[in-house]
Amino acid sequence: MKKGSWLAIVLVFALALAACGNNSTPAPGSGSGGDGEGNPNLTMLMQYSLFDPNADPVAKNIEDATGYKVTYEMLPAESADEKLNLMVANKQNFDIMKLGSAQFYKLATAGALEPLNDLIESHGPNIKAAIKEDSWESVTIDGKIYAIPETGSGISVGEELVVRQDWMEELSLKNPTTPDELYEVLKAIKKAKNIVPLTGSKDSIYGDIAAAFGVLNDWNDVDGKLLHKAELPQMKEFLTYMNKLYSEGLLDSEMPINTSAKAIEKFSSGNAAMIKLAWWSASSAEAALVKNFPEAKIGIIPYLVGKDGKSSIGVNLATTWFIAIPKISKQKEHAIKLLDTKLKKDIFIKLAIGEEGVHHEVKDGKYYPILPKFNDDLTNASSYMTGVNEYDYPAYWQARVRKDPVLQSYYEAFQENAAKGNIVVDPMSIAPPIDAVSKNKQKLTKLLDDTVLMYIAGAQSRDNYDTFLSQWMAEGGAESVKEANEWYQTISK
Amino acid sequence: MTVKTSFSEKLFNFCNYLFFILVGLTTLLPFVNLIAKSFSSEAAVISGKVNLLPIGFQTGTYMYVLKDSMFLNSLKNSILLAIVGTALGLFLTTITAYPLSRVQLRGRKWFLLMFIFTMLFSGGLIPTYLLMHNLGLVNQFPVLFLPAAINVFNMLIIKNYFEGLPDGLEESAKLDGASNIRILFSIVLPLSLPVLATIALFFAVAFWNDYFTSMIYITNQDFKPLQLYLKELLVSSSSEFLKDNVDAALNTTPQSIQAASILLATLPILMVYPFLQKYFVKGVLVGSVKG
Repeated sequence: MKKGSWLAIVLVFALALAACGNNSTPAPGSGSGGDGEGNPNLTMLMQYSLFDPNADPVAKNIEDATGYKVTYEMLPAESADEKLNLMVANKQNFDIMKLGSAQFYKLATAGALEPLNDLIESHGPNIKAAIKEDSWESVTIDGKIYAIPETGSGISVGEELVVRQDWMEELSLKNPTTPDELYEVLKAIKKAKNIVPLTGSKDSIYGDIAAAFGVLNDWNDVDGKLLHKAELPQMKEFLTYMNKLYSEGLLDSEMPINTSAKAIEKFSSGNAAMIKLAWWSASSAEAALVKNFPEAKIGIIPYLVGKDGKSSIGVNLATTWFIAIPKISKQKEHAIKLLDTKLKKDIFIKLAIGEEGVHHEVKDGKYYPILPKFNDDLTNASSYMTGVNEYDYPAYWQARVRKDPVLQSYYEAFQENAAKGNIVVDPMSIAPPIDAVSKNKQKLTKLLDDTVLMYIAGAQSRDNYDTFLSQWMAEGGAESVKEANEWYQTISK
Repeated sequence: MTVKTSFSEKLFNFCNYLFFILVGLTTLLPFVNLIAKSFSSEAAVISGKVNLLPIGFQTGTYMYVLKDSMFLNSLKNSILLAIVGTALGLFLTTITAYPLSRVQLRGRKWFLLMFIFTMLFSGGLIPTYLLMHNLGLVNQFPVLFLPAAINVFNMLIIKNYFEGLPDGLEESAKLDGASNIRILFSIVLPLSLPVLATIALFFAVAFWNDYFTSMIYITNQDFKPLQLYLKELLVSSSSEFLKDNVDAALNTTPQSIQAASILLATLPILMVYPFLQKYFVKGVLVGSVKG
């Protein structure tokens, strides 16, 4: 009866577990009770980030500073929009929502969000003081404010071309200043080192080189009219140039399939001499490179000069997050009070970069983090931001960059280089969500990027570009351009 | 036998071996690469030097992952989910399958059709979500195993296995005065261990690997299983994600730690496999004659 007894054990085990599974399923504190101070508990929906929002020290800080206990929920890392739709369709209760621009637009036009004008008027003095006039434009639909805009770290550039400086010196090459000089440099490196000098990933097609041709931002002001970069005449010149690099073996032929990690891998293992590097990847990339080649040095190539003799850099200032109060919330006044208190000057700095002398220190007017205390308590602070003090935050925020001297040096060098040139802000940055543009953006971007890669790789002849452009227009481009310009006329008056 | 046939036989065997070794390697090598990465220094991983052997050996990554409370908590959830889900699933599926395998059950065909109907048609994501929400299951641990507790496909396998058992066994038990439940537990189930073990493995692996259910229903950190944690770990260090979230970019998880997490998440289920594998062959041979 060996088999029988074994079975009996399994079954007893199964039943016990099934039973215990049913009993022990705890009902987690879903809005359980209020706290002693009479302030109700609030629920906030956040975007995804890899940490436990309810256990993080920042959550405690916010509770201490504002007197509100907030329960946080996060959207998933993937399919966030789907999940958000499910939650809203299901009338799940949130008091505050931190939304991306497409999510915001969808919910606002669907009537799921509360107009905030009156609430801000009566309960939001700190909110009004913290946010600049321009930013309100981005959250206003038909004259009503539907969210508090969160703009983030201010004007900054993320990526710039870097080069193996030790090779440049060895071959006595000078830093290129124009696309033509860049071409010569790449050619010289290829000849001497027998490698494909320039690498990159699929999402770094544009940037420095494109900017030198005048392809700056997604949307560009040409004589008072908005043109999408797809319709810029300079686009063709840029593609011709890139195709030349590609066909002569100066541009990594795997660029369309590279991830940025792969591109960094090629650079740090000595298989490429030039890459468009993001400052936040710079310190690990440099560490890996120096480990492999102790004599290696990285040089930053200043922004290339275009035909007009100037170097231009496109930046996007767009509002990154939209802090909204859903209609379904039963505690809208408390919600706005919480948002307002968080923006009170002394509270805001504490929530952003902690206390002076404990979490950060000020040297020459710049904020430096005190490690490891800063990391222990504030690593995830920006996820909890619900609007920022737009006058002070860029300076505060840089404390994060100064956590690592290598990172800091790249960040500062990039910004310094950019400041020498001509920073052109994407006019669409301050636009309110425009129906046709939001609706078509993803599809059109993908269509353009895929096609551009084909033109660069020579899989398509550039003579066909006009045919492509009319396809692009037909698939929503024309509609976007039209509505974007209608909006642009209203502000340029 | 002539020389010729034995040569072609040898050739055939050789090709066979070669083919299966290659197939085996394609599944094994990525794993070895992952192991090597998890033990290598970050600089070596970033510059793509790590292939099958670790470069710059270190074990700090494992220390880091094993200290991470989010990892540990999700590991605990996954183990609990696999055990509770498998036990409950096996129990419910078996007691559903048994009556359906008996010819004397009235309306048996209709019951069967009703079950099969659910295999082919489902309400879709949104209605299911609404249902779960109205049942109060959203963001609760049971949502991870209750909706999947009866799997019709598994139920059919068990049912067919039961049907293959000789009728005489049941008849003689009945003559001895055994009730239906007694017959199921004392006679039918002990004879069905192979199929039960197989289905248990199906359930366990499915629960262990499932991340979609938790992605849809769970936002509470306390109930996230391991696969969801891994998914989030990997997504949150992808370049598209980092481009939009500069602050996240400042705190990316190094690749060697990702590798270690993936390995630690795969090991437990890998260790269960060999012990149940021997039942596999017997169990899935549905309806074959039982010796």
